Amino acid sequence: MNVIHANKTEEPEQSAAPDPKAVEAIGRALEAHYADLVKAPLPAKFVELLAQLEAQDRVSDAQGRRDALG
Amino acid sequence: MPSASFKDELLAEIRNLRAFAISLSGSVTLADDLVQESLLRAWANSDKFQPGTSLRAWLFTILRNIYYSNYRKRAREVQDSDGFYARRLTVPGDQESHLDLEDFRRALTMLPVEQREVLTLIGASGLSYEEAAEVCEVGIGTIKSRLSRARAKLVEILGLEETSDLPIERKVRRAG
Repeated sequence: MNVIHANKTEEPEQSAAPDPKAVEAIGRALEAHYADLVKAPLPAKFVELLAQLEAQDRVSDAQGRRDALG
Repeated sequence: MPSASFKDELLAEIRNLRAFAISLSGSVTLADDLVQESLLRAWANSDKFQPGTSLRAWLFTILRNIYYSNYRKRAREVQDSDGFYARRLTVPGDQESHLDLEDFRRALTMLPVEQREVLTLIGASGLSYEEAAEVCEVGIGTIKSRLSRARAKLVEILGLEETSDLPIERKVRRAG
């Protein structure tokens, strides 16, 4: 938590806070930018990967039960 | 074995995880590799996730660790997120603060990654200061100072401080 000592090479703290209007505009732009990323088409491979992992676990789970039964 | 609901919860977080990965690396290709690896690791370590805490923050931590240990060098060579975005127009807002989204994205890539990730986590991904501090493995004070430096830098790059005499000071007209 000792910020000042941890960041020796960093620029000094800002003396004046930016205009609240400018900060607000940046906040809105950031949200719009991120919203574009979030709603972009998702490659199918991620959903397939999770389905695969789940199926694998189910197989090895069943295998484990059979082994336990002898 | 992770429960079916854990899988559903992961599914629900993929879009956000990918958005964070693209923001971090500046590359859609790298981001997809990162998401893939993160999902594998999350699945294998599902027993380490504490129910009741933020799954999003947990996944971001995993992805970020993978990024910093394996991808950061590659990310400097591959920047392929240009042309990916849906919108090229200005951000809707009141007339005093129109920002061109393309300009904003370019400005964002000019930030040091440590500042960009904090700005993204707090300003877009909806993490709390505490969660962001955990994801980035720093104190809350550092999160706050990185956030304010990121904002100040963007204001500077986008030239927003120069307009404060003119339109920004103008009284907002009340509609209706």
